Amino acid sequence: MWHKISWRLLRHELQRGELTIMAAAIVLSVTAVLSLSLFTERLQAGLLARSAEFLAADRVLSSRRVIEDSWLEAAAERNVSSARRVVFNSMAFAGDQLALIDVKAVSDGYPLRGELKTALQPFGEDQVTTGLPASGEAWVASALFQELQLGIGDSLDVGEKTFTVTRVLTYEPDAGFSVFTDSPNVLINYVDLAATGLIQLGSRVRWNVLFAGDEAALADFESWLLPQLNDDTHSWRSVEDGDSPLARSLQRAERFMLLASLLGVVLAATAVAVAAQRYCQRNYDAVAIIKTMGGSRSQIQAIFIMHLLLLTLISVAVGLLLGYLLQAWVIEVVAEQLGATLPAATLKPYLLASATGLISALMFSLYPLLRLIQIPPLRVLNRDMTGNDSLSWLHWLASGGTIYALLVIYSQQWLLSSALFAGGALAAVLLLSIGRVFIRVSRQAGMQAGSAWRLAMAGLQRRAKANSVQMLSFSTAIMLLLLVLALRNELLADWERQLPADAPNYFIINVDRGDVASLQQRFAERDIIANDMYPIVPGRMTAVNGVPVRDEVTKEDETGNEQTGEQREGFGRELQLTWRDTLPPNNVLSAGQWWGADAEPQVSIEAEVAKRMRLGIGDVLEFNIGGNVFEVPITSVRQVNWGTLQPNFYFVFNPQTLSDFPATFISSFNLPTDRKNELFELFRPFPQVSLLDLDAITEQIREVIAQVSLAIGFVLVLVLIAGGLVLLAQVQASLEERQKELVILRTLGAPAKLLSRSITYEFLILGAISGLIATFAMELALWILQTQVFEMAATLHWRFWLIGPLAGAIVVGVLGRLSCGRLIRRNTAQLIRSLA
Amino acid sequence: MLIQTTQLRKDVQTTDGILHILQPIDLQIAAGETVAIVGASGSGKSTLLSLLAGLDLASSGDVLIDNEKLSELDEEQRAKLRADKIGFIFQSFLLIPSLTALENVMLPAELAGNRQAEQQARELLGKVGLSERLTHYPNQLSGGEQQRVAIARAFVGTPKILFADEPTGNLDAVTGQKVEDLLFQMNQESGTTLVMVTHDSDLAARCHRVMRMDAGRLIEVQQHVA
Repeated sequence: MWHKISWRLLRHELQRGELTIMAAAIVLSVTAVLSLSLFTERLQAGLLARSAEFLAADRVLSSRRVIEDSWLEAAAERNVSSARRVVFNSMAFAGDQLALIDVKAVSDGYPLRGELKTALQPFGEDQVTTGLPASGEAWVASALFQELQLGIGDSLDVGEKTFTVTRVLTYEPDAGFSVFTDSPNVLINYVDLAATGLIQLGSRVRWNVLFAGDEAALADFESWLLPQLNDDTHSWRSVEDGDSPLARSLQRAERFMLLASLLGVVLAATAVAVAAQRYCQRNYDAVAIIKTMGGSRSQIQAIFIMHLLLLTLISVAVGLLLGYLLQAWVIEVVAEQLGATLPAATLKPYLLASATGLISALMFSLYPLLRLIQIPPLRVLNRDMTGNDSLSWLHWLASGGTIYALLVIYSQQWLLSSALFAGGALAAVLLLSIGRVFIRVSRQAGMQAGSAWRLAMAGLQRRAKANSVQMLSFSTAIMLLLLVLALRNELLADWERQLPADAPNYFIINVDRGDVASLQQRFAERDIIANDMYPIVPGRMTAVNGVPVRDEVTKEDETGNEQTGEQREGFGRELQLTWRDTLPPNNVLSAGQWWGADAEPQVSIEAEVAKRMRLGIGDVLEFNIGGNVFEVPITSVRQVNWGTLQPNFYFVFNPQTLSDFPATFISSFNLPTDRKNELFELFRPFPQVSLLDLDAITEQIREVIAQVSLAIGFVLVLVLIAGGLVLLAQVQASLEERQKELVILRTLGAPAKLLSRSITYEFLILGAISGLIATFAMELALWILQTQVFEMAATLHWRFWLIGPLAGAIVVGVLGRLSCGRLIRRNTAQLIRSLA
Repeated sequence: MLIQTTQLRKDVQTTDGILHILQPIDLQIAAGETVAIVGASGSGKSTLLSLLAGLDLASSGDVLIDNEKLSELDEEQRAKLRADKIGFIFQSFLLIPSLTALENVMLPAELAGNRQAEQQARELLGKVGLSERLTHYPNQLSGGEQQRVAIARAFVGTPKILFADEPTGNLDAVTGQKVEDLLFQMNQESGTTLVMVTHDSDLAARCHRVMRMDAGRLIEVQQHVA
């Protein structure tokens, strides 16, 4: 019988809109979690696939020694495909011409991600090419055709092997972006590598194996492989590693999405919590009546547990459907805007969303439900009886535990979840106390005000305890909204700064020292915005504190002997060194001091390199520049923003150290696409200067940022809805309390106008105070997030100090006034009856 | 005796000490009797009613309903007793707002596991003149109609005892009179024992016995023979 009663109650209550807020809260939490995680998962997969093209693989293992075939076989067993790639410098000969080249020997399957493009004639139209050069053939970059005066079908000697040039290599996905790779590429088949005779003991070669597969297979392979790797010999890279502007944008976007989604989940859960409380309060009378009619405790438990379960399940189902549709729609818009297709998502988001809905609805209702079941039947005669609340600790435990569990489940990061939760709990306690103080203070201020204000203040004061809890949820909602909004603005502004409309789109290299001044003058004449000219001196770092660094493959490496701890691995290549008297723009000193005008020789080192090589202030580095060996101490460490398209350097020396060495200069500048035709005229007097076009890479970054900005906008809307729902649920919940007071005041003859004003004022004050507290909390949270999570500079947001209280007052005021309007319009008799 | 109390007391602890709401009360009500309890506000009428119905527990003394000692029953057993033997009518009707008139009347019968709940409820609503209003929700009914639904609900389990707390207190005089007539008519037809708390002396006068509560004491003031 009880299930009939339960179902009947649910059906009617749903029809009559009495469960709307509870249902909406659950639906929203499920919709938000589902659409967010579906969307982020698909977007991320899409972005990763895109970025994987830059690696030509999902993962790259790089080694100083040949990688055993058994590792590739192990990968194949785990459904991970692989291909070998070896890159080294050499000389190439064609007839009596010779040139320095980068040889890239690759095995079948290369590239695992992205595509090769080739042309049949130098500067001819290129097309996507599958397959690789056959044994004995070489595909050659167009620059080399010029340099060696080659033609298709000509021979090219590399080491001891003669190759036939069969195609022009126009695009390799993994060509990388480095201004210094100015020697043209030659692509050969891996089977010909040994025949060149170029790889011998002592050769400076990185042996790479590319891997690709689905994430599960890769994870499986990684868990097998990683324990076998040796930090000194191997490096394991994925797309997300590295300093590329793309990787950094991606990481930040990912963190933001995760954080915003977490806040969205917390907000939605808060809405469920508030609604659950009210849901149970609404049923106090029904339980008392049923008990009076002889309903047993077990019947009542069964009726209301089933009622809640059904409500939850229906809401979860609706939430899943809505979430799916919403996400599908957004994906379609994104795909349309960006002309990209995104891969399908896994089942995980659906499970996650369902779990969020179920867990939050059931856990937040646990205590209110317990109270509900304990409502004494005597309530039918004494309407003030609400059962005991000796178990309220259980409520805090269940609610806190649930929010924490949701954070962990959603982020799968203990540390982030714990930090957010602890911060949140602390903030809640603070907000509660500040709220009460505010209410007390405003009461005193209110005593001097007009009657509607006085009534409002008195109301605030009377309900201080209830109000401070309400204020907590108002403040939390407003704070989270402001936080997401501010973070979004910061993030977009940061990207905007990184890639402004006038971001450099050309690099120039090989500028003679004598040409620097005249080139700068020509830029100025044509209104071209250019970065500073940076001198380049190629050199090697050879020792740290008198101990030589390992730069080449040595006998010990081959026999696999362990390294001595003292010896560090060097860069394995020539470095581009520069000198400067001032700190480069977009660099920030993280340790030490920048040098003055007439300082002793010294060097400033980039922070990441310092960390990787265990270097710090005071360490003495030995450099070899063209046979000239000298030592310099490190006197500062710089954080470099690699996202900027300006020349950036690991090592910057003071002018005294380097300026006497022969150097060429580099810079970058912006030239709008429609002025491209000026390039020829601009550089005609400087024939040795090489020009690199960055438009392709900046376009790619812009595209990613556009996708991510869209995603962020989407997250923001969801968080806004969740926040609005919390506010609405909270206002609704407070109505019943106010009802009694209204009856008394109406009966005593208070005019409707006075009442509606006093209610509006009460909510306005509540909203304004909540907004103010929220802004304060938001600044604090933002400061921590910016400095700790996003590695951005912290800023104050003065606008929000106005927006917060104002928006709080308006939103809460309007919601409160609208919700209470119905009560005020009812006549006194109706009100009294509804309370009787 | 269907209802019997011996030395029934109710005390509550207040900040000013113990408050004696009910002085020791001895009361006997036979099956089929109609009893009105009158008295000023705060005299203890409703408390007595709540103790008689097993909604609350006495501080000392005992209530026997149909020879069952309430003090020896736990909450579940008292609920069972109410389901089997007791019906209620309240001043504020206390219908469940999200159930229709028919469903409100069916509720006690369903809780008692009665398979003819709907059938009986329809008949009773017919008797109180609400056959046309079966699917209406309480807020779609007038006060008088709501109380008629409540009367139908009170009779649905064919209870031995009916407790009524100010059954016409929320109704205007004309409607009150109609509800009153209906209540007595149905009570007579079913032979139920009626215990009613009221302010209304005319209503009280229609009962076999009238008792007055005064500061927690019960005095029998009137006895009619039916």
